[in-house]
Amino acid sequence: MSSLANMLQQPGALIECDDDPEAVFELLCAHGWSDGLPVIPPTPERIERMLAYCDRDLDQAVVKIPPRFGAATPVRIAANAVMAGCKPEHFPLVLLALEALAEEPYNLYGTQATTHPCTPMLIFNGPIAKEVGINAGANVMGNYVRANAVIGRAVRLCLVNIGAAIPGTGDMATAGTPAKFTFCVAENEDNSPWDPLHVELGFPKEATTVTVVAAESPHNINDHESLTAIGVLTMAAGTMANTGSNNAYYAGQPVLALGPEHAATIANGGMSKAQAKQFLYDHATIPLGKFSQEGIERRFRRKLADQYANATLDTLVHMCAKPEDLLIIVTGGAGKHSQYVPTFGNSRAVTKGLKRLDGEWVHSIHELKRG
Amino acid sequence: MAKIQLVVPDAPIEEVAQLKASRTLRADGIRLGILDNSKGNADHLLNMIIEGVKKDFKVSSVVMTRKPASSRPATEEVLDQLAREADLVVSAMAD
Repeated sequence: MSSLANMLQQPGALIECDDDPEAVFELLCAHGWSDGLPVIPPTPERIERMLAYCDRDLDQAVVKIPPRFGAATPVRIAANAVMAGCKPEHFPLVLLALEALAEEPYNLYGTQATTHPCTPMLIFNGPIAKEVGINAGANVMGNYVRANAVIGRAVRLCLVNIGAAIPGTGDMATAGTPAKFTFCVAENEDNSPWDPLHVELGFPKEATTVTVVAAESPHNINDHESLTAIGVLTMAAGTMANTGSNNAYYAGQPVLALGPEHAATIANGGMSKAQAKQFLYDHATIPLGKFSQEGIERRFRRKLADQYANATLDTLVHMCAKPEDLLIIVTGGAGKHSQYVPTFGNSRAVTKGLKRLDGEWVHSIHELKRG
Repeated sequence: MAKIQLVVPDAPIEEVAQLKASRTLRADGIRLGILDNSKGNADHLLNMIIEGVKKDFKVSSVVMTRKPASSRPATEEVLDQLAREADLVVSAMAD
């Protein structure tokens, strides 16, 4: 294992700059190491402090990030985390998210390079999310809370700087999404009537997990009127059923992020999360005839011929292949709003738990501090 | 102005072994490989390319392969088949 000092002596590891914030920003932008917003200068001293919460070998790639397949060593990830504004305590969660993204089912290569406007949505569950201050309440998908902003931003900077997801060459998105600056939330487990996502997926409640989803921007579901489970879910189903969504064509995993008040209405109506998924699978549908004639002929009749070669125009197209593919979380603050998050389609959500090197779940982020 | 050192946040392209492809064409014709990326019109474009190649060169065989999805890589089996059965491969997308 190399020391940080040794690693920084490698050719190309360091670059000199005027000791001025604007000069640093100009230099980093000039090299394309940027998301377009100002950054904290990634000095060796700051990298060393960031790595205080890293239990990995500094010279070993944690993951390789496509399309360049750049080796994401802890030092390079730390440089991006510093730039993003992370605290050292955030660093293990950045590593965890990158490891989840690199798992094959997520299809990082495809999601990085596609023309579709997807980006990793990071959904954190468990005690560490709360300990490091990831917002699960008011304005959860918006601005203001540092942990949400910088953890998601650090991951995005790694995808650009290490993976070369550079618009127009490595990231071929037609329009992209503002969620490419950051898209990081925690589930509001305290205000959910159901088991949180990670428990539903088989993790113990004490575990801290990240679930990564190749997400579009969220779309609001405003429902101040419905007083029943069926009412709220009918409004959600109507918002989910869109002809232009990848989820109408591919076996993806869209996300319904229910506000706590909507979730309570559904649960008080006696519906479990599984029942809510079944209702949404059944009702978030589009009659085949609502798609364009060309879309019907070229995509449904030809590419999805096994399902639609001879289907009538009133055949219902579902927004996921099976009910359990829909992810439901509860997040956000007070108010009668929920969010629907369409996804890339040819990508599966990946959930990964935060463990110590001895294999035990992390109960406090400070267990990961070196020394 | 004083200078500071910054840690470079990118990663270089790793060196990969470069195999030098033989450009010697077989006397009995080219074994042409086709990798369809599964986009809607890739097959139309590739068929036009096949016909164009056949007009200008002697082609002894054409092996047609297809990716499972445009955003997923070709399978190992497909790549092995192309390596075995083709002298050159044309891959294309068209939508």
